[in-house]
Amino acid sequence: MIPQSLEIRRSSASLKGTVAGSREVPVVAKYVDTSTCIGCKACEVACVEWNDLPSIPTHQFGSYQTLPTLHADFWNLIRFREMEVAGQTTWLMRKDNCMHCEDPGCLAACPAPGAIVQYANGIVDVNPDACIGCGYCETGCPFDVPRIHERTAKMSKCTLCVDRVSVGIEPACVKSCPTGCLHFGTKEDMVELGAKRVEQLQLAGFREAALYDPPGVGGTGVVTVLAHGDHPEWYGLPRDPRVPFSIGVLKRVLRPLGMLAIFAAVVGAFAHYTRFGRKAPPNDGAGERGGRAA
Amino acid sequence: MSTVDAATGADAGTAAAREREDVVVGDEIVRHKRSARLVHGAVALTFFACLLTGMPIWSPVFGWMSGFFGGLAVCRWLHPWTGLAFVLATAAMTLQWRRSMAFEASEKGWLGPKLFRYMRYEEVDPDVGKYNGGQKLFFWAAALGALGLLASGLVMWFPESFPQLAREISILLHDVAFLLFAVAIVYHIYLGTAAEPGTFRAITRGTVTKSWARLHHPRWFREVSGGDSRPR
Repeated sequence: MIPQSLEIRRSSASLKGTVAGSREVPVVAKYVDTSTCIGCKACEVACVEWNDLPSIPTHQFGSYQTLPTLHADFWNLIRFREMEVAGQTTWLMRKDNCMHCEDPGCLAACPAPGAIVQYANGIVDVNPDACIGCGYCETGCPFDVPRIHERTAKMSKCTLCVDRVSVGIEPACVKSCPTGCLHFGTKEDMVELGAKRVEQLQLAGFREAALYDPPGVGGTGVVTVLAHGDHPEWYGLPRDPRVPFSIGVLKRVLRPLGMLAIFAAVVGAFAHYTRFGRKAPPNDGAGERGGRAA
Repeated sequence: MSTVDAATGADAGTAAAREREDVVVGDEIVRHKRSARLVHGAVALTFFACLLTGMPIWSPVFGWMSGFFGGLAVCRWLHPWTGLAFVLATAAMTLQWRRSMAFEASEKGWLGPKLFRYMRYEEVDPDVGKYNGGQKLFFWAAALGALGLLASGLVMWFPESFPQLAREISILLHDVAFLLFAVAIVYHIYLGTAAEPGTFRAITRGTVTKSWARLHHPRWFREVSGGDSRPR
């Protein structure tokens, strides 16, 4: 891997919009093959270790899964799903973490300037100094990934190990995977790798195998091979994830319209004053000073 | 009940306005007693606290407002509390003022043509009581708006305790309610100060002049003075 630049392509609540560098930086992606994941959880441990996250007490809740859901101190969770498919019991593993969307809903929803950024290489990251802990990102994310830390009141999630990637090494989870079901590289290469694996799976009898790279969010920085690609919801993945409609309405309609309305109200009051003046009692001192009193 | 000498004028008016309202004192009429003015003051103060802590979160254009409080993160922490204070103050005002804000049959057209005629200073209605239809509309709209802001604000305060749909609706509802409030408040302040001289003192010292009352609230003037409400 060539060292990645940390130039920022998009920044939350930024009035200037995109701040692209002049250099072309390849977009990176993580490849996840759910069909070869054995659920060993090495990636979970690697994530916690590299990112120096405190360990969370776990409880048996009737599954091999480490935690029921992602946590502000647990950014990478292998989800276990046991189900009957065509008369056979199967285990559907899924790597639940930030998908690093091309069109990130968290970034779109965030009101704090620079709290959520998208680097030129496509990685979506949080700047805790700028984060205000409002939780809008939780509403904006179609994958239910961001978590507000109860102690620091800051959002945290998978950074795709941007600190490793920016010096040219792969994310910790990819490094630790023993089966080779995780790969890291340019988005182009990972999509190609995914297409090959999907072809293999289709030849092996999984006719509905597909690569999950949802176009509703412009594609994701995590591409996932699903043996049962016609049923992403079996893996807990939304079929057609999109940035919530309400976030778009809020930012693209209500905000500009509201800005205009407040401005128009103030201008309107001034205009009213110049046109109609004051309404003062005829015999009051105030009335004598001016205006066409009724 | 002590009678106040007409000659002592203004000071007697503000003195009377501590406890009583709707009484004539010399050349003035007491419009708002002290407790009513304090309640209104609390609503105004908490409203601006909400505005200044909320608007920088609403848009980065108003990010400079967060500087008054020590940054956006402080605003995020403070805004729910100022909001709660605003809702409490508004609830107190709604309770205290509700009787005089009851709508009358003659006030039907206020949401439409009457409001426009009023703003053009063409509305002449000798039957306007202590409050006109527009004031009553604003009063009840503010109470309803505060309720909407409270409901949506609670969801936004603790987003993790509510389902996705509730969060999305709340974000939109909070925005719409705020915008309606912001636009309405511009005219509320404008009409109470620049446009209608003699009004602002009603909410600061509590009294208005007789001629002000005769012009803006003729029936209220008749009721409190028993006098002639024709323009002098």
